[in-house]
Amino acid sequence: MIKRNQIFWKLSAAFICTILLVLAAEILLGKINSLSSGRYLQISLIITIAVLLGSASAWFFVKYFIQHPTSKLSNEMNKLADGMNKLADKEFDFRLDENEKDDFGMLASSFNDMAEMLSLSQSELEKTRDYLQGILESSGDIIITVFPSGKIRTFNKGAENALGYRRVDIIGEPIEILFADPHERDAAIEKLTQTDNVVNFETRFLTKSGEIRDVLLSISQIRNSTGAIIGTIGISKDITRVSRLQVQLVQSQRLAAIGEVFTGVQHSLKNMLNACKGGAYMVRIGLKKDDRSMFEEGWEIVSEGISSMTNMSTDMLKYVREWKPNFERVELDNTLAEIDRVIKQTAKDKGVNFQLNVPPELPSVICDARMIHTAVMDIVSNAMDACLWKEYTDGELPELILGAYPDDDGQNLVIEVKDNGCGMTEEVKKNIFAPFFSTKSKSGTGLGLAITSRMIGIHNGKFDVDSEPDKGTIFRIVLPIDGTDKH
Amino acid sequence: MAKKVLVVDDDVNTVRFLSVALEEGGYEPLGAYDGKEGMEKIKSENPDLVILDVMMPKKSGFVLFKQLRKDENYKDLPVVMLTGVADSLDELDAQSDDTFERPYDALREKFRKIIKEMKEDALVKPDLFIDKPIDPEEVVEKIKQLIGT
Repeated sequence: MIKRNQIFWKLSAAFICTILLVLAAEILLGKINSLSSGRYLQISLIITIAVLLGSASAWFFVKYFIQHPTSKLSNEMNKLADGMNKLADKEFDFRLDENEKDDFGMLASSFNDMAEMLSLSQSELEKTRDYLQGILESSGDIIITVFPSGKIRTFNKGAENALGYRRVDIIGEPIEILFADPHERDAAIEKLTQTDNVVNFETRFLTKSGEIRDVLLSISQIRNSTGAIIGTIGISKDITRVSRLQVQLVQSQRLAAIGEVFTGVQHSLKNMLNACKGGAYMVRIGLKKDDRSMFEEGWEIVSEGISSMTNMSTDMLKYVREWKPNFERVELDNTLAEIDRVIKQTAKDKGVNFQLNVPPELPSVICDARMIHTAVMDIVSNAMDACLWKEYTDGELPELILGAYPDDDGQNLVIEVKDNGCGMTEEVKKNIFAPFFSTKSKSGTGLGLAITSRMIGIHNGKFDVDSEPDKGTIFRIVLPIDGTDKH
Repeated sequence: MAKKVLVVDDDVNTVRFLSVALEEGGYEPLGAYDGKEGMEKIKSENPDLVILDVMMPKKSGFVLFKQLRKDENYKDLPVVMLTGVADSLDELDAQSDDTFERPYDALREKFRKIIKEMKEDALVKPDLFIDKPIDPEEVVEKIKQLIGT
């Protein structure tokens, strides 16, 4: 560029000199015939000097007023172009010399400002990129991005760890190879096209070694600034361990439940068999001694044992069968009065002071009256047992109060059974509704409260139990007055 | 004079048939239907051996047992305990506090705690545990081994 400029200016200067020489020659040729030789020499010298001076002036003019500024401009332009190229090559540290006070200095300063800004932006971009990459890399989740063609674009460390592939081997491969069942990928993509993102899609990945990993996959479309889809990102959580634990948990819960039933049945059976075994012994001795009364007594005990087993069998069926309650609007004070009649005499025989405490106008309740009767009877009979199991001191007497009242907002009817019996520990309280949980060694199948709890559950009612060992228990059944519909 | 054996159980049937078996075995049977009554009978009748049910109203068999072992007059009185978990007593004895116990088995857990308490109180365990259902003749045989006839 520089050389070409110099040749141009030199040729221009030579061209001007030639024109001046031709002009001078023409003038001289016109005058020459009429001049003397001395005068001719003088004129020739003057012309020569003039031509030389003219050439020198022309040269000077060209050099300092045309050639010099143009060359500087070219120079600076070259530097600028050079700088631009460097910036394009990401040499963001490159700066132009700003020492010149002229327009070029200003231009260099602007260039440098631009380079500085570019450098800052680039550094910000790098920081953001590193930060995002750090997040992707440090995540334990499997994060994979995929081109619209379905080929793997990025594969994070979590994916490497979980699936056993190295990213250099997997990038560019079709995403399908990671799915244990490629149809599941199709299903996820199908869902994605409908909803734009898929959250916690349960699927299975295949590791490099052929193992199956259960994952929860969330996929989103990646769009560019114009909104065009440029790929998808899938974030998957490996839930293989959780899934296996869940299966184990279900199995162990099932086993525990079966264990509970077996142990419960065994506890109850032991007491019932105890009666049969003891009774049979008495029958045998009665026969041996020809003692009819002992024989009959023994047979009575055997029969009691058989009858307890029959009851347990009925209770077990009752507990597991499907119930069809007969809901109707019921005046529960009648039901409670009926319980009062049944319990009063038993309580008296056992030395328990029993009271019925029901206000005159009790709201009627939509319920199955038989079920409520059974449930309340069960709780009252438990309360009676609690009184019998306590050793009363300091003149305290066994007391049992059956009451009922509407709750504060009038939505529910509360049936309350209060005793000052042996009470329950927190541990017992926690388990009272569990099937076959029993604190009584002989009576009861351990199913009473479990059945009662189901009955109240059917009514959308709930239990509220306050109890303290050796102080007593308050057992409340809370029944929705308008039945189950509103709940 | 026949040796006295007191049966303390809230189950009238058990008291009845054990009494028959004890009588057949040559003992004088006595009956009580809860722990409180049992203690009163021990004091009034001074039996040679007590058969205690574990779970009873008013005073459990273990409470009564502990009371006896701490009382100078009865600390050596032979005690046979009736339980539904006698078959697993050694296992229960070996369990630590943080052993996972299924919540349903309150009886076993109670037993475990009682055995632990007895150890802490330096109380000697009952002379014999008998599992239910009871074989009355077997009980009498074991009593014979403990106190003779």
